[in-house]
Amino acid sequence: MIQGIISILIILLLAPMFAGLVNKLKAIFTGRIGAPTIQPYYDLKRLLRKETINADSSSFISAISPVINFVSVVIAAAMLPIGLARPVISFEGDIILFAYVLGLARFFQILAAMDIGSSFEGMGAARETTFAVFAEPIFFFTLGSIAFMSGLTSIYDIYHSIRLDNVTYIIFIIVCSTSAFILAVTECSRMPVDDPNTHLELTMIHEVMILDNSGIDLFLYQYSSYIKLFIYAILETSFFYPFGVKSYTVGIIIFVVVIAVLSITLAVVETITSRFKMKNIPQYLLFATAIGILNLLIYTFTK
Amino acid sequence: MNLFFFALAIQILPTIIIGFLPDNRKASVVTHFLLVAGLILGFSSSFNALVFSNTTQHNISIFGIPNSLFRFDALALYFLCIIQLVAIPISIYSYSYFKYYIERGKSVRSTLVFYTLLLVSTQLLVSANHSIVFLIFWEVMSISAYLGMIFEKEKKEVQTGSFYYFVMNHIVVYLLFVFFFLLHHQTKSWLFSDFHISPEAGKIFIISYALSLIAFGMKAGFMPFHFWLPRAHPIAPTVFSAFLSGIIIKTGIYGILRTFQFLNPTPEWLGWLVLAVSMISAIFGVWYALAQHDIKKLLAYHSVENIGIIGIGIGIGFIGSAYHSLPIQVLGFGGALLHTLNHAIFKSLLFIGSGVISQNLGTRNIELMGGLVHRGKYFVMLFLIGSIAISGIPPLNGFISEFIIYNGFFVTAKELKNYYPLVMLISAVGLAFVGGLAVACFTKINSIMFLGSERKEVKHFNISFYEYVSLGILAFLCVVIGFYPQPFIGIVNKVLNNGFVPVSSSSALLSINWFYISLIFGIIFLGVLFVYFWKRAIQNKYGRRTSAAWGCGYENVNPRMQYTASSFADELNEISKSVLVYHKNIKPSKKIFPAEASFESHSEDLVDNKFVLNGFRNFSSMISKIEFLSHTDIRYYISFILIILTIYGLIAFLWN
Repeated sequence: MIQGIISILIILLLAPMFAGLVNKLKAIFTGRIGAPTIQPYYDLKRLLRKETINADSSSFISAISPVINFVSVVIAAAMLPIGLARPVISFEGDIILFAYVLGLARFFQILAAMDIGSSFEGMGAARETTFAVFAEPIFFFTLGSIAFMSGLTSIYDIYHSIRLDNVTYIIFIIVCSTSAFILAVTECSRMPVDDPNTHLELTMIHEVMILDNSGIDLFLYQYSSYIKLFIYAILETSFFYPFGVKSYTVGIIIFVVVIAVLSITLAVVETITSRFKMKNIPQYLLFATAIGILNLLIYTFTK
Repeated sequence: MNLFFFALAIQILPTIIIGFLPDNRKASVVTHFLLVAGLILGFSSSFNALVFSNTTQHNISIFGIPNSLFRFDALALYFLCIIQLVAIPISIYSYSYFKYYIERGKSVRSTLVFYTLLLVSTQLLVSANHSIVFLIFWEVMSISAYLGMIFEKEKKEVQTGSFYYFVMNHIVVYLLFVFFFLLHHQTKSWLFSDFHISPEAGKIFIISYALSLIAFGMKAGFMPFHFWLPRAHPIAPTVFSAFLSGIIIKTGIYGILRTFQFLNPTPEWLGWLVLAVSMISAIFGVWYALAQHDIKKLLAYHSVENIGIIGIGIGIGFIGSAYHSLPIQVLGFGGALLHTLNHAIFKSLLFIGSGVISQNLGTRNIELMGGLVHRGKYFVMLFLIGSIAISGIPPLNGFISEFIIYNGFFVTAKELKNYYPLVMLISAVGLAFVGGLAVACFTKINSIMFLGSERKEVKHFNISFYEYVSLGILAFLCVVIGFYPQPFIGIVNKVLNNGFVPVSSSSALLSINWFYISLIFGIIFLGVLFVYFWKRAIQNKYGRRTSAAWGCGYENVNPRMQYTASSFADELNEISKSVLVYHKNIKPSKKIFPAEASFESHSEDLVDNKFVLNGFRNFSSMISKIEFLSHTDIRYYISFILIILTIYGLIAFLWN
């Protein structure tokens, strides 16, 4: 329990740092100095002290959505293990709750975007909805496949059932981390699905949905999107734990290393690719789903 | 169960009293009062029997007269409870719904009679133990629903839509006749309690199953037979469409579950078949729903989706039965039973909500709505609760039943090994995909109808006290089952263990950590409250104001520039174009300066379009070939009957 609480605190504290790290690396790769790694903290602090401005046409949805969004993302984060620590929320079937709690966050995010009644937000909301529909299967094909094969339904147990025994494990890691990476990119609106740094409303997905938010509302949205990115990073790191079974220190080291590798990968991908055409994104996501199925077949045939 | 029949007597009273009350308003008051009173009484008696007694009675006495026509076993009581529980808020709403028409001088007395008959016959239907009694009430239910449906019979769409329903019902009844005759032939009894055929019976077993699944599946609205739902629901008066979608299609589920009781264990392939058909119903039901602009039609397609989800549970249960595995059966059927209750609750909530909106605005087209949240905040909140529940999102009741079904997948994979993990994973992905599409669909209708600004000027938007009460009851149930599912799980478990699953007591349902789930939901709720008040405190400190939305420098933003329902769902519809028959008609302006341009999109149902309509057309052209037999003179017909009877008589004579 104590370990779990420490884990969730780590997630809450380090989440903005991870986003800052990715941005910093990206700046370095593109030959800029870039903002400091802890820039997201400054941003959050600044937002906290700003006045909140809501659109004229907004309703109570706009007021509660950032809150629900934040709380559900934190609850989802509390289900993830860091290292060997058992998360705060861990029970049989939490893998389903994890996916659906993030669904709750998305439901209100979309509603809040549509609450403004502006077509910019509408555009973002429509895109978010479409891509989310195709992102859902990816999650089930990566983490769910292990759940079905091992018969375990708690995220913590699922990860700890992965055993480093043969060469298929290496293939398995490659496949899982690829599809988890694509999932992370989609869910967290990074390149090549979405460009978080664009300055044209027509090309955005996540950013345009929170276009008309400010102050504490924007704080909550931004913070939850940092946490969300970190959540998917943790999903990724957990595939590597079998390397350090039964040792807390090794677990932590693996965690740090994988996070570092992942941030470099994200930065590299964002540097060398450009955003896809919107209509090609579903194909990209179906590709990730197909990889997930591959993973499943590997698992089936080696059993 | 004397109390139950007494309650029914109270409910049937209005049909007599209305005859003596020429005044519409008084008739409506009396009818609804008696209905609600009777329903509450009936509910308390059946709920009491379900929860507190543990005997499965076979022969009951009605007011001292022993008979075997009715039976109140756990399954019957469970469905009785659902019917009565949901019928109470629908009847409360019904008062306010008919008041609208009474004020406009339309006679509602006959429709009230049909509504009463519908309620009573549905309750008697699920408690019937004799096949013929079952069929009689089945027919009364179907016909009274049909008669209620043609409330606004002067409209063309009402005539065609209700005709679909009528034809569908006759096919169903015909199949059911054959089904029960087969069962009678095999068991030499008419009583449900005596029916039992095991797979060793061979062909009879398969044929009976096929008949039952087609007939009840048609009533429930599984995918190839769903065509009547999107036709009948939109045109029926809201009271009837809420009842149709919330309860009547559930009688199909009831029938399938009863059939399972008669005919078990099921072969494995049947489980696969049901699972596959249900999965298709769920996915395409919601995908079709996404393309609709008519709120009631959209909700009708969502019924197809939810029936699909219930069917997935039943399919899992069938597979469990084939392998004689208790946990699988309990989780599969348990999920199906609980989802039946849940769907009855949130679907009637949504239908009543849609009725309130369309009565106020005079349209069912969601593209003409918008901004209603500024006129009825609490109404929107209640509708939103229904929407979250139906999308299966925590912390409401839809999640609980889907969670059980997911657990069914996991347990099936774990228990049966072999290729099952693979197939169960694909099913889980399918269900997750359905969930994603449902989120898309319900964010669409909520945001287009309620949020933003008004696309068309709203003259008045009043919600009466009765409407609030009925919506409130249903929303409250959604919340309660979501946050505190234990008692409901307990009831479902009891239904399963009292004569449904052959061997008694398996704790697969109860062993899910429900307390933990409630706890997390509680934390979510408290967390939201806490963060919200913290947010308010910050806002008080640093200020909050409203201002115009970001228009990218453009000043003359008007409501027509908002995202519409079709643009919201366009990308998803484009992907599903091949199965959806989704048409877009774009006429862009080709001149340099802005000129007239137009865009329209509409979707058609593949099954409806290709098979049903064509089938009807072919059939009527076939019939027209024997049109020469048709005469105005009645004597011809009498002689036809005579000829046919002679032929029958001869056949019967020669047969022996």
